[in-house]
Formats: sequence, C-alpha cells, structure tokens
Amino acid sequence: MAKIAPAIGRYVTIEVDDLEYRVFWLENGEGPPLVCHHTAATHNHQWRHLLEDEDFTSRHHIIAYDMARHGKSDPPQNAEWWKEDYRLTADHFVNFVIAFCDALELDQPTFIGSSFSGCVALHLARRCPERFGAIFALQAAEYASGWWPDWWRHPHTNAAQVCSSGVWDMMAPMSPDNERWLTMWYHMQGAEVLKGGLHFYSMDHDLRGRLNEIDTGKCPLVMMTGSYDFLTPPAVTKATADQVAGCDYVEMEQLGHFPMSENYPLFKPYLNKALELIANKRA
Amino acid sequence: MTEAETAVKAEAWAEKFRQATESDPVIQCYAKYYTCDFLLDMEDFRVGVQIRDGQMHKIEINSAPLEPHHFSLHAPAETWRKMSEKHPKPFFHGFWAASVREDLRIEGDITVLMQNLRNFTAQFELFRQIGVPV
Repeated sequence: MAKIAPAIGRYVTIEVDDLEYRVFWLENGEGPPLVCHHTAATHNHQWRHLLEDEDFTSRHHIIAYDMARHGKSDPPQNAEWWKEDYRLTADHFVNFVIAFCDALELDQPTFIGSSFSGCVALHLARRCPERFGAIFALQAAEYASGWWPDWWRHPHTNAAQVCSSGVWDMMAPMSPDNERWLTMWYHMQGAEVLKGGLHFYSMDHDLRGRLNEIDTGKCPLVMMTGSYDFLTPPAVTKATADQVAGCDYVEMEQLGHFPMSENYPLFKPYLNKALELIANKRA
Repeated sequence: MTEAETAVKAEAWAEKFRQATESDPVIQCYAKYYTCDFLLDMEDFRVGVQIRDGQMHKIEINSAPLEPHHFSLHAPAETWRKMSEKHPKPFFHGFWAASVREDLRIEGDITVLMQNLRNFTAQFELFRQIGVPV
C-alpha cells in the first residue's frame, strides 16, 4: 500500500507590486485557516510535521507556502530578475502575504511566521491587523541588524555550505540529528536567495519606536522564541513584546531558531498554547 | 596536578582530538579539500591545528606565538569548558553562538573559515565528546 501523504500542493499566480509570481503552497485540514511562512532561504517543508498532524488538521486549515524565489515558487515571471540584485523590502513582503491570502480568499487567517517572516508578522500586525484573526511572530525582534554580509553568496566560498552551516548553532543541540540536518538541507537549497531575504531582516526591517502602533485589540499578537536561539534570544524577543500593549510572550525551552522544523514534538505544545491564548482572548 | 602531568594530559587530549576528527563520518564524507590551519586559544593552551584533506597533519598544544595560521578562536578557559559540556547551556552551544552572545572572538582570514565552514563546524562539535584540555 502506497504511503500517500494527506497534504496537497498547488500553484497560484499572484501579482505583487507589478511583479507576477507563481506561488506554490501545501495544504491540509479543515477549519479556520492557519497560514504558515518559512524562514529565509528555505521553503514550506519546515512545516512538514504540522501539515500532517491530525491534532491540528482536524480543526485548522493548514496552509504553508513558498515565498517567491524560495522552494517551488519561482522568481517573478514578468521581470528580468537575473539582472537585479534582489533586496527584499518590508513593503513588498507585506504586499506578498496579503496578495497570497487574497488569492486564496482566506477569511481572517491566523498568520504564523518565523525569523524573517516572524519580523514581517510584526509589520502585518502594525499595518493591516483587520486582515488577520491572529498573528504569531516566532523568533522575531523589533530590529535585527548585522546579518546582511556578503558571505551568504561570496564567490570564493561554497554558499550552500556557508548558509547551512551558519544556521547550525541557531538550533538547540538536543534537537534530533535528522531534523537538524533536514533543516540545514533546506538552507543548502536556498543559499542564493538568503542575502536578498536578509536585506529585509537586517536592513529594511526596523520597528524601533513604532511598536506602540500595533493594536492587539484589532488583532491578537503572540511572540515566541527558543531558548537556544542566539539570533533572537529570549531577552531580545521579550524586550520587543514588552513594548506592544496586550502582546503575549512565550519562551520555548530547549528549542532554537527553527522550532517547527528542528524539534516538532517540543514545538507542538507551544503552538497549542498560542492558540489557547488567542481562544481565551476571543472568549 | 603538576606541570608535567598537565602536559601529558593535554597531549593525550590532542591524540583523542586527532582520532575523533579522522573517524568522524560527517567530516570524513567531505574530507577532500578540508584543508586549513587554525588556532584555538583556550587561555591556558594555544592549540595549533593543521588539517589536510580532513586528516590531522599537525596538532600542537603550545603553539608558538608566531606560528602562522589562517584563522583563530579566542576565549577564556571557562568558556571552552562550557562549550564542551555534553548539553551546553544556551549560547555556549557553538562557536557562532558564543561569538555573538558570549566572549569568544574569531580572528584572522574569515574567508578560509567560510571555505571550510561545514567541516570546521562538525569538528567543533567533537569537543562535546572529547572535552577540552583546560
């Protein structure tokens, strides 16, 4: 008997700031939509366990897409992208997420993003809270400078190995080897796009002094970070959360920068906790 | 422990480091071209390492001050001890983490470090198995 997984993949073409993208997504489950975004340079396989976890798919429509230029979502179809130095901006990132949710006609989805997509989650909460039922920002901070060096695509190095080995320490050492290596593997596949994505993360993303513009009365916000994440350690994420009135903060013990991918069994109760926090607020 | 006993213990550690490196499957499956010279400054010892195609060409416990190397890692002995624990505390769990959040410094030709990053990262993990000499 063939072991066919329940998650199904499809493509949708969307337009973002005059750029046409063919976007790939995986989905499974029924219920209120939970839109999942991967970290920079990777793809939706980071959410592979959640996509097939019946505890969640029995009550949520899980949707995990590949950001443009990542995984199976190509660079723009209507532009000579190979002649440009890709530099993701907050504006384009926000517009991409909204365009994708509109294309799938998602009503008040819960958005969950991690690392650079955790940071864009803060922008979504600030700019368009009315579009989302709730927002979960994982491994995020108000500002994350210093991670836009040339090493991610230096011609004298093996970029795939630099990008993947560079994230090794971001994971908790007790996370299972096979899951950590898979998480590294995804980074090896996306090395070419890492620097462009981190332009948003370390250069264009800066919410210092603007966090008070996030209205959690319009859209609840939960921030979570792993105790072993040296990139956005608990103190940094908590300092961000503390500046947003009504924002919940959760530290995830024995997890690093890629909690959903590096050790899903440990991450699962924290995701449940975040969903409970939101449910209690709605009640 | 006398100075002589300390030296013997350190030499024994160097041999363990050589054996662990040359038998580690993660390093050895990509051993070809893993070639570089680096210094591990552990406060009490300055460990000089020369790697050639994944093999320990030379390891010196007390590397001379002017001995050339491509890159170097510097940290107090206590930091090295914490990084070599089997289950290290957060931010002592790797040289990237310790250099960003703790007191480990990376110096020298970073290009060479980046060119050998996959295997150097794997080799650094071996300290959790064999410990450090400080």
